[in-house]
Amino acid sequence: MRPSFPSSFLLSLLSLLCFSPYTAIANASSSPADSISNSRSDYHEQLILRPLPLSTLLASFNFRSNTSLSAFEAHNFRFFPRSLGQILEHAGTRELHLRFSLGRWDAESWGARPWNGAREGGTGVEMWAWLEADTDEEADRKWLTLTNALSGLFCASLNFIDSTRTTRPVMSFQPEGNHIDANATNMHLLYGVLPHEVVCTENLTPFLKLLPCKGKAGIASLLDGHKLFDSSWQTMAIDIRPVCPEDGECVLQIEQSIDMVLDIDRSKRPRDNPIPRPPPAHEMKCNTSKPYHAHDTCFPTDSAANQDWSLSQIFGKPIKGTCPLTDPNVSPVCIQVPDSRIVFASEGAVEKKNPDQTSRCFDFPAENDFEIFLPAPEAEDGSVVIEHVVKPETPLLYAERSFTGHGQERGGVQTILRNPSPDQEVEFIYMESLPWFMRIYLHTISARVDGQPGKADSLIQEVYYRPAVDRARGTQLEVRMTVPPASTVFLTYDFEKSILRYTEYPPDANRGFDVAAAVITILNRDNKSGGNGRNSRFAAYNLRTTTLLCNLPTPDFSMPYNVIIFTSTAIALAFGGMFNILVRRFVAANEGPESGLKKGVNKLKAKVAGFLKKGKKESAPAVAAEEEKKME
Amino acid sequence: MPRLLASALSLRRDPRLLKLPPYLSLLCIVIGVVWLFLLPLDDYSRRTYISENALLPGQVHTYFGGSDQNVFRAYKHETDELAGKGNIEVNDKLESIAKGLGLKVGRQNFTYSSAGNTHSGQNIYAILQAPRGDATEAIVLVAAWKNVKGELNRSGVPLVLTLARYFKRWSLWSKDIIFLFTPDSIAGPQAWVDAYHDAHDSSRVASLPLKSGALQGAIALDYTRETRFQSVHIVYDGVNGQLPNLDLINSVNHVAGGQMGMGVAIQEMWKHSNSYHDRLQTMLRGMLKQGLGLASGPHSSFIPYHVDAVTLQPFGEGWQDEMAIGRVIEGTFRSLNNLLEHLHQSFFFYLLMQRERFVSIGTYLPSAMLVAANFTIMAIALWVKSGQPDVQEIITEKTKTAEEAERIVSPNPHVASERDLFLPLVLVAVCQFLGVVPLYLFNHLSESALIPAFVLFSVLSSILPFLLSNLLHTSTTSTTTQQYHLIRSFSLLLLGMFLSSLATLNFSLAFFVGVFSAPLTFVRPCPNSSTLKWLSMVVLYVLSPTTVVLVASMLPGLDEKVGCGLGEVLRQAAFAWDVTGTYTPVVVWCVWWPAWIVGVVSVLGRPGAGDKKVKKA
Repeated sequence: MRPSFPSSFLLSLLSLLCFSPYTAIANASSSPADSISNSRSDYHEQLILRPLPLSTLLASFNFRSNTSLSAFEAHNFRFFPRSLGQILEHAGTRELHLRFSLGRWDAESWGARPWNGAREGGTGVEMWAWLEADTDEEADRKWLTLTNALSGLFCASLNFIDSTRTTRPVMSFQPEGNHIDANATNMHLLYGVLPHEVVCTENLTPFLKLLPCKGKAGIASLLDGHKLFDSSWQTMAIDIRPVCPEDGECVLQIEQSIDMVLDIDRSKRPRDNPIPRPPPAHEMKCNTSKPYHAHDTCFPTDSAANQDWSLSQIFGKPIKGTCPLTDPNVSPVCIQVPDSRIVFASEGAVEKKNPDQTSRCFDFPAENDFEIFLPAPEAEDGSVVIEHVVKPETPLLYAERSFTGHGQERGGVQTILRNPSPDQEVEFIYMESLPWFMRIYLHTISARVDGQPGKADSLIQEVYYRPAVDRARGTQLEVRMTVPPASTVFLTYDFEKSILRYTEYPPDANRGFDVAAAVITILNRDNKSGGNGRNSRFAAYNLRTTTLLCNLPTPDFSMPYNVIIFTSTAIALAFGGMFNILVRRFVAANEGPESGLKKGVNKLKAKVAGFLKKGKKESAPAVAAEEEKKME
Repeated sequence: MPRLLASALSLRRDPRLLKLPPYLSLLCIVIGVVWLFLLPLDDYSRRTYISENALLPGQVHTYFGGSDQNVFRAYKHETDELAGKGNIEVNDKLESIAKGLGLKVGRQNFTYSSAGNTHSGQNIYAILQAPRGDATEAIVLVAAWKNVKGELNRSGVPLVLTLARYFKRWSLWSKDIIFLFTPDSIAGPQAWVDAYHDAHDSSRVASLPLKSGALQGAIALDYTRETRFQSVHIVYDGVNGQLPNLDLINSVNHVAGGQMGMGVAIQEMWKHSNSYHDRLQTMLRGMLKQGLGLASGPHSSFIPYHVDAVTLQPFGEGWQDEMAIGRVIEGTFRSLNNLLEHLHQSFFFYLLMQRERFVSIGTYLPSAMLVAANFTIMAIALWVKSGQPDVQEIITEKTKTAEEAERIVSPNPHVASERDLFLPLVLVAVCQFLGVVPLYLFNHLSESALIPAFVLFSVLSSILPFLLSNLLHTSTTSTTTQQYHLIRSFSLLLLGMFLSSLATLNFSLAFFVGVFSAPLTFVRPCPNSSTLKWLSMVVLYVLSPTTVVLVASMLPGLDEKVGCGLGEVLRQAAFAWDVTGTYTPVVVWCVWWPAWIVGVVSVLGRPGAGDKKVKKA
């Protein structure tokens, strides 16, 4: 049966099977973030829903399939998408990470990022890959092949990742998979980013096509461009890596994930009437304790309150059963709310509460639609509202980047890095890949602790810098630095803006040039020595700053034509006269030498006269010679 | 053609031509002034039009209203309670409301000191992050707690809060929206904009804890009245006479006048019949404000950073309510939200003479340029004249090249005159540098000392030319006519140069200074006629910078800021200099005043006729 929200809301509520919160079956093995892989060829998918403060909802979709390396090499594709597999093989790709992102994560309200930031990229498209190549040139060639092929596959402008947008990070990235020869010279890491790429529904469709059940069944049936791209923040990620468990055969793993933060208010609006008209006055939630409260005066309270929601209200449809190919041991839907909260699910679903008291998972029959309804917490006094959502984890670091200065000649970049931890310092790598037309002054890079005068350059431990080459290569800057506990550090540097040739401006309206997000990789404190494999992760947390908009001196492109026409005319008129005045000597007719015509006539006369004379002189000897001949 | 040139060349020697430059200068001034008065005519001004197609003003339905009015009333109750309370207390309340709406809130302290007074306060701002945006661009909605006149922005602040709540519900924003609440209308916005662009002096103005992307536009709301209104007044003058892009004004005009059907006024012309007289009055008011270069509202500080901004002020008795002005802002923000690129299409240099009529720089600039050119013409003429001994007929100024100059002299090689440059250069340079004294004085004295200082300075400035003139004559070598020519030539050359460059930056200021100093072109030493001398002196003293400042401050004002007494004018000028960086005092004291001093000195001059240093070539 399929509940029909929101028209007959109460009826559908009755039709839902209510599970008592106390009949939960604890399931220790299915912690949502746990992603220990199996060595055999398999597939699983999971949706984790986490209500966040300020009536938002984080939905994390995760799809993972494995194929054994031998099967992959034998072109025996089962769950692994063939289209992608062939590209990877052709381009000699050992590990690939691809990100499509939109919006920004509000760390102040929402806390730490999902997956500790490992499954997200900066705004736009970001990709990095380890390629197998003997030389740098070969790696570049393979990278070109890879980006062009993926560009076609994902309908994104990945082919615009050319040499100016490609960098080879040195410190920021480590392979996630198990590579036998991870540090061998034939493994090349290339990283490219397109900050201006607008991620949209044409990127979602190919993404869903890679899934074994496409978007037809299972949790992927919820994914729909309208909802996904109306979210406050969303990121789509594809990670492909070889994984070698201790026992058993190595597998090639593809993990696809979509994380999105939905504004519940906005998502609940019906699609045919998305305009947020003011609600009728009697539907407003007012703070009645205000002394001035009246029928025409209302201090609103609604935005802080938690709202009720159900899957079909938020996504416009319920989950259409499970994907038959998925691993039955992994619950397809989990929701992270405190155990004290009541969650209704459709009939036939089995609720499993996790021992951490803050999450529960649901299993449901493959053929049934699945629906969750989360009622609003009982209207108690305001003090306990915060208990109704799991308190967001504090991130290890807050980062905010902005431009300083104004004008079109110079500028500066300032990154504010705040370490919220009271006693632990944070060590991280800050990476910028800047376009070549931002020429940075490396000597101006400096760190300053807020509240302490003077520079604190000891915080910067290591700088890797690869300067830009005009029109050929972008700037790459990697800084390893630390932020002391409970302090804020300002990392600043200055740059100069180059002037582009007018053909180098993109053909669209010029709003400026997007500068890719800075990548901040917080190093795992316990494991600084390195080492590979998924159990000893290199990065404890990743985050991206927002992108920046760099304004270059821009010609008004219709203006040059006017200017050219105008100046050509002016020059044509002015130059002739000016040139004449400068090079000629003007004198009055009576004081100067004879005028041009007279002179010419005189000259001609002289010439004629000379010619006549000459003719006479020449003819005279000839006559004499003839006479001589005659004489003989 | 050669014949024509030949006759022109023979004319060059004509003694009548040498008398031409003063008349030419006079003609320039007359044409310049008349030009200005022609501008309001239909033939010389143009109708405004929307140049940036992306703006599409007035094309969207606005939905602000209905139950939002209930919210507005509640917020108004909240802010009414805050009337008369301290800045911090106000900000605490605003912060709690803005945080309740789910906005990011930041605060910023600032302290300015000017004329011995301290202007300090705390700005508060809330950022509505565009739901799907990437923090690269932002638009600003400003509500100052007090407007320029010091009145409480009673309806403006709650309306901006209500709009913040309303805007939060939309998902279509492509740019962040920043809601800025400042304690006053000039210093607060200035501190905030400076800090936003990291151009602030961090000892006086705190850095911003939160930032968004590049600012694309700003609207300020100055809504003090609590009753219904009729029309909306657009204030657009920026600091130093800079103006916002005309497209922004046109958009507001379109939305308010076209879509909402409310009247739009500019330059405090509450009634505008679109007659020549009204147009001229509007234009002159605009020019006066532009020439003064003062900040006229919270929007003024944004304009120097190339952020186009206007202030909206509801006025008049009518039937429009708060929701109507809210919808005007909504419509304008929807237009700004559409922008793909920074406003650049339309005009940045214009004079508005009615809400739908303007003249652009190409049409009005010649006016100020001609006035400035008159000084240059005279300077060149004087330079040429100084190269000629008195006995000889003076030759025209049309000396094009060195070769020609040589040729002019060569027909009579006995009368080449060497120019004695040292004294004139020193005198003009000293006068120019003396201009720093009043500039420093009036911007660094405390408020109570300003009026005595001004009186003292006026007296000194009146005596100074006599002192200088005596100095020139008691010195061992008496000053020659040639040197007087050179003194005037250099001074006028500088004046012409400064004013013509200023005309491109601040047309009105250049025009006014040019007109006021126009007599400087014509005054000359008159040792023979004492009536002419005293007439010149009277004209010069009436049009001296100090007299003009004094009279302007006494006049019952067109603009209330001007007509409020000398002390207030000086205090305002110091405040503008210290806070908003207005450069009008520089022009007055370092361009106009030195030229005036030199002018008076040359009127007082008694060129010694006996000791001319004519060097025979």
